[in-house]
Amino acid sequence: MKDLVRMRTSLKEEIERILNEQIKMEAHSSAIYLAMAAWCDRNGFDFSAGYFYKQSNEERNHMLKLFNYVSDMGGHAISPEITNVPQEFNGFRDVFELALQQEIAVSNSINRIVGTARQLNDFATDQFMQWFVKEQIEEEYVARRAIELFDVIGEEGVGRYMIDKAIPKISYGDVEAQ
Amino acid sequence: MSNTHQLTELFANTKGTTYQCDTTNRIIIQFGETRVSLRITDFLTFKKRVDSVDIHTMIFNTDDAYDVEVIDAPRTGHLFVLSLCDLIALRDLLAGTRFVLDLNTLLNERIYSTLVF
Repeated sequence: MKDLVRMRTSLKEEIERILNEQIKMEAHSSAIYLAMAAWCDRNGFDFSAGYFYKQSNEERNHMLKLFNYVSDMGGHAISPEITNVPQEFNGFRDVFELALQQEIAVSNSINRIVGTARQLNDFATDQFMQWFVKEQIEEEYVARRAIELFDVIGEEGVGRYMIDKAIPKISYGDVEAQ
Repeated sequence: MSNTHQLTELFANTKGTTYQCDTTNRIIIQFGETRVSLRITDFLTFKKRVDSVDIHTMIFNTDDAYDVEVIDAPRTGHLFVLSLCDLIALRDLLAGTRFVLDLNTLLNERIYSTLVF
């Protein structure tokens, strides 16, 4: 008897399900960053707005990378429905704290996928997800550094203006640029 | 469907039987008087649709609208109109079928993985 399931896809059902959940999570992150960009624009933090627009694009690219993988492996990639995107934030620092929390949640989720892939002997997915593991090191660093700037520069006086200007210059592994 | 197609029975319960056709690579669902032939991707989509019905709402909601559930079998032009009992029986049939398909994958992995001809 032919193995019709395996002929269709090399992805196990559980892996396909968690990858689709990750697709949704990345799309949600992209939407949240877009809302953060708009909030920064509305409140005069022009440089930070640019940073969040860039982050939003990155998250969408992550989503597409996962989406293409699921499709390429013969799986059913589901275009996600995005709801519950916060549009208002309590303050400048609060935006960045939420961004860090979002990145931590993404890292945890990626770690769970790698763990499941290894449990199910899905080495292709394990290998594929390693790119995301590395990417999250950078994403978390940048988000954490942004919050650090609030402490280092301080929000008083022209502090917020200076922080706003410094945000787009944060880059992982290049201390000179900061 | 031609009788020359070789059908392998996958699973059966009181309401129906499922088969795999290795000639057309399709899953055939015989449920009551209804017979549909689905590609494997459509079978999995159909199973998800059947599994996603909220059975508790059907049981506890007294509105007539909840007496039956209408589910489209992908790319067959056929609609399944299911009572609560039908739905439970169909769910059981599809779950059993999925189990046998997964078991077949496992057997292929373990037994036939070295034979490629």
